[in-house]
Amino acid sequence: MNNLTQRARMQPVLGVGTGIAAFASAAIVFLILIFLLVFAWPAIRFNGSGILTGVIWNIGNQYGSSTVTHNGVTAQAGASFGGLVFVFGTIATSALAMVIAVPLSFLVAVALVYRVPRKLQPLANTLVELMAGVPSVVYGLWGIVVLVPWVGNQLGPFAQAHLSWVPLVRGETGSGNGLLAAGIILALMVLPIMVATLRDVILAQPPTIFEASMALGSTTWQAVTRAVFPSVRKGFLAAVLVALGRALGETMAVLMVCGAAINQFPSNIFQAVNTIAAVIVSQLDSALTDASGMAQRSLAELALVLFLITLVVNVVARLTLRGADRSAQ
Amino acid sequence: MLQAPDREDQPLMYVTTTKNAPEPSVATKLQIERLSVFYGSFQAIRDASLEVPENCVMSLIGPSGCGKSTFIRAVNRMHDLSPDVRVEGKVLLDGANIYAPGVDPVTIRHRIGMVFQRPNPFPKTVFENVVYGPRIHGIGNRKKLMEIAERSLRHAALWDEVKDRLDKSALDLSGGQQQRMCIARVLAVEPEVILMDEPASALDPIATSKIEDLIGELQRFYTVVIVTHSMQQAARISDYTAFFLMGELIEIGTTTEVFTKPKDKRTEDYITGRYG
Ligand SMILES: Nc1ncnc2c1ncn2[C@@H]1O[C@H](COP(=O)(O)OP(=O)(O)OP(=O)(O)O)[C@@H](O)[C@H]1O
Ligand SMILES: [Mg+2]
Repeated sequence: MNNLTQRARMQPVLGVGTGIAAFASAAIVFLILIFLLVFAWPAIRFNGSGILTGVIWNIGNQYGSSTVTHNGVTAQAGASFGGLVFVFGTIATSALAMVIAVPLSFLVAVALVYRVPRKLQPLANTLVELMAGVPSVVYGLWGIVVLVPWVGNQLGPFAQAHLSWVPLVRGETGSGNGLLAAGIILALMVLPIMVATLRDVILAQPPTIFEASMALGSTTWQAVTRAVFPSVRKGFLAAVLVALGRALGETMAVLMVCGAAINQFPSNIFQAVNTIAAVIVSQLDSALTDASGMAQRSLAELALVLFLITLVVNVVARLTLRGADRSAQ
Repeated sequence: MLQAPDREDQPLMYVTTTKNAPEPSVATKLQIERLSVFYGSFQAIRDASLEVPENCVMSLIGPSGCGKSTFIRAVNRMHDLSPDVRVEGKVLLDGANIYAPGVDPVTIRHRIGMVFQRPNPFPKTVFENVVYGPRIHGIGNRKKLMEIAERSLRHAALWDEVKDRLDKSALDLSGGQQQRMCIARVLAVEPEVILMDEPASALDPIATSKIEDLIGELQRFYTVVIVTHSMQQAARISDYTAFFLMGELIEIGTTTEVFTKPKDKRTEDYITGRYG
């Protein structure tokens, strides 16, 4: 059998195959974008900039027959589709998740590479992968049963008693459902991918760099941060962005612990928030009752906003990764 | 280099020059007592004991896989970095056991520097490479760092070649220059002992002879332990030679003794080329 010629014959087939796959995924992204645009178009006209600046979400009076018309588009009287609370919540929960997950994933990855005995490493790596495979709703359930009560009954009162001088912490701490719980859940959910990526970029470095630093009398921490990290910085940044993209769009677990705030901003990290993804799910039922249909279309417009945010984050992540690859060569 | 010992019964024709050992009154810098090293259940060093006097050069020779690297890495606690390696026995530096409980390996590695087989520059500039050690030990003053860099690079016989490219990437230096830069990097932290694991094995003869000259110089200020594959090199540069075989220290003595009057048959077989 001539393996080489066979492989050579396969080459164009593979090329065409991956070409089609790449084209198909680009086309799907494009079609989703078109669909969202078309479906949300009346809402885009009705809401104007209000979808990004308005604070009040109200599908309008469903019992009367009175309607309002704006820009040639009609909705129930009193309708207002302001999405700022949700845009803010999306960014705030993801940002908090990153604040928690970035240093934590760094520490875990460093420990995985340099501290876990070789025999236990497969086990540790499997654990990380298992963590990545846990369904969102399970994280949410754990959040409801364990995390939220802990935040509400332990952390909240503690913060009120001792940390009332810290801005963003002082004030009413509530039930535990809210920004902090959502941020913690999101951090746990994106942790595996960040740890795995960072671990892989560290392992891709020649181990001699680490040894060289240690042999000069550095601590492990100095070796990682000063000798190893500068060459993995871009890879890590890309991992953070990919994780951020996931956190921004995460739905179920966040919905279960965020407190589902409507029409109000949290005044500290304990209070209820809502994210775009969560509000689309939680408001869908009532939106479907909107006789004018504008509530559904406004939710679709919110989806479009989320889609664009994550698209930008992912594109930046791709570009960073490409930069990282190039600088690694 | 000093002339060959004037011995009639010199059995090894190719040993043309050996260094004279220094006066025996010098203090013991390193004393290794019953050292054993295990990789998991495999014992790579068995019960090795030896002493290294201050300001001298000791060569470790032996066939590939006999445990030279394993031994030398135990002397500055590099094995601590691998969770699966176990070290038993004592290594006394100026009389104090570096493996005693409570001793911080970081300070030990500060005092006992190491040069590796392959040059391992950081992907940074030449300057940043050389001052890496001083920086992590808390020196931030640019002028002071510059002084240290110049002194170390001069000492490593590299200054004239790199003084105009201190802010260029160290990765652009030649292999021999990189290795001398790595030596300068160790000198910059002013250790007391320098361990070298075949520092010239990846280099051409000219770069090798530069490194050998440099080691001769270093000896005035430092105690040097060097692993080498080349018996000629051991003969040229070292005062003492230790011969390892399959994890055991077979023989140790002044280089002249070991190469001209080996006490053990296995040493003789090895240095006459009958083994390995
Ligand atoms: N990380 C490790 N895990 C398991 N065994 C190892 C490890 N490193 C070395 N060994 C084994 O320990 C023994 C000694 O190895 P070492 O590297 O110290 O030899 P060496 O004398 O330096 O050889 P060379 O001259 O080829 O560098 C060898 O049998 C080697 O296979
Ligand atoms: Mg070796």
